[in-house]
Amino acid sequence: MNAAPGAAEIFDLGYQPYEGKRTSRWARRRAIWRDGVRIALGLGRGASAKIAPWGLIGFAFVPAVVLVVIAAFVGSVATDTSDFELPSYAQYYQFAIVPLSLFAAVIGPLLLCPDRRFGVLSLYAARPITPIDYIASRWVAFFTVTAMIAWLPEATLFAWNALDAQSPGTWLRENWDVVPRFLLAGTLVAGALTALSLFAASFTTRRMYATIGAVATLFIGSAIGGIAEENFSGSLSGVVSLAALPHVMVDGAQWILGDEDLQRPVSPAVSALWLAGLTIGLSALLLIRSMRLMRG
Amino acid sequence: MALVHARGLTKTYGSVRALDEATFEIGEGITGLLGSNGAGKTTSLRLFTGLIDPDNGSVEVLGHDTRRSSEYRTRIGYAPEHDCLPATTSAAELLAYMAQISGLPRAAARLRASDVLRHVGLFEERYRPMSTYSTGMKQRVKLAEALVHDPVLAFLDEPTAGLDPMGRRDMLELIKRVGREFGISIVISTHLMGDVERTCDGVVVLDAGKVLRTGAVAGLTEETEAVLVDVVEGAGELAAVLERRGLAPRRDGNRLTLERIAGTDFDVLRDAIVETNALLYRLAPERHTLASVFTPAGVPAGRREQDAT
Repeated sequence: MNAAPGAAEIFDLGYQPYEGKRTSRWARRRAIWRDGVRIALGLGRGASAKIAPWGLIGFAFVPAVVLVVIAAFVGSVATDTSDFELPSYAQYYQFAIVPLSLFAAVIGPLLLCPDRRFGVLSLYAARPITPIDYIASRWVAFFTVTAMIAWLPEATLFAWNALDAQSPGTWLRENWDVVPRFLLAGTLVAGALTALSLFAASFTTRRMYATIGAVATLFIGSAIGGIAEENFSGSLSGVVSLAALPHVMVDGAQWILGDEDLQRPVSPAVSALWLAGLTIGLSALLLIRSMRLMRG
Repeated sequence: MALVHARGLTKTYGSVRALDEATFEIGEGITGLLGSNGAGKTTSLRLFTGLIDPDNGSVEVLGHDTRRSSEYRTRIGYAPEHDCLPATTSAAELLAYMAQISGLPRAAARLRASDVLRHVGLFEERYRPMSTYSTGMKQRVKLAEALVHDPVLAFLDEPTAGLDPMGRRDMLELIKRVGREFGISIVISTHLMGDVERTCDGVVVLDAGKVLRTGAVAGLTEETEAVLVDVVEGAGELAAVLERRGLAPRRDGNRLTLERIAGTDFDVLRDAIVETNALLYRLAPERHTLASVFTPAGVPAGRREQDAT
């Protein structure tokens, strides 16, 4: 039965204090991590914020899908497939390093620059988190997304190889070690790119400058490394070639994935160690800078 | 109960001593941190919130040493003076996020964000990007951001900065409501004595990093109140009567100024005007400048400012 007209009342409940449970420090870190992932993927933002991340994710992932579809098609029409082979896990990195590097350079700064530009850092600093919580959560957030982009094409190739085998069970038993290898290779590459892009972003409030800095480091470094390989010899060539970070990342990934066909001035193990050291070093500097910025 | 204990606080920036062995306490209710530019107000708030550490001395907020703990920040709010709102984000999103990193679960954070935005009058606009907000709306978002996690104590740095008189009045009313109805203690920093008088229960007066005075606002305004009496004629006779009755008017032509007038002094003034038949033209409160009121050495008597009201 409806109430009589005029009988309804609207009550103002006034201010309601929060009496529920307060979350732990880990939950607060998770909130910053979740926000970082959403920023990196453009989630909860307008369509224009999604173009760059999803375009670059597609750039990295779609070729793997296309190759698998071609392999499936060629296989299904029972023709001679000897002239078509899927790339190896290591070979795919030679292509994927370009979209991965662009993703890091273009999207990484979004996680830090606007916070500085709009003065949000002081809001973080007055909350029950430390500068380490903030920067580590942001770091892990961007690493999560970048690593997923690195892992996804490899996982697609792995899945197809398993499905395409005469006996998928046997194939999986014989090749299970590929999974930890491609996860480790992706971790190495994503870690280095995350550290580099966020470190560049910590120097400026403008995203564009950070992107230019990261791109310059990656691609000008490649040019310098290439010139050194052609014009120098011996240990000098080896040391200068380490400036070619995209090549170094591919070398490191190929070494982890067990690709033996490498003709590089430094051993792939050195490349992998150099990348790990660079990641730790840049991350430590990023942390120091962030603490100074937040506590300044 | 004191919520903030500052003991011998000293903070220097290069050669500038922003706070110089400042010792004071801030209790429950609404407290004004009053001082001119460079007095040390913002530095004090940054020390209270743990954004910076003191060079010497210590601060305890809600019983926690700010250098040793960050957990007390679950129960404090902070709205800085400078712009701190990301342009492309909506107020609802920012507040829900800030509530989460202050210790509220995700669902509760979203509810609280909407609720607090309703209280500050931004419920309808809560999903708009903050780049489209006016200065007054941004100040309200900053207030909401300081309150969204239901703190015990909120620090508001110059909350009326950049507001027109109407916006300033509304903001002060809102702050009063938060302090009185929401039960959240507030510390506001301001250089406007009128803001403190309208809003605050207590005041800490700072000047060049030193504490000049602390106490209840009521006592302070009694000491600083002055009344201007402009008469068309009869100023001399009125001044004589007032002097006989214990007041000490200062005469400047047809204008009398009565310093530190309070309580029954107003009755004496009224009776004297009636008795002398002085032709009253204007009777108005007059406010001293901060410097003339609080600087021990004082300033020339002519330097006064009319109350902005």
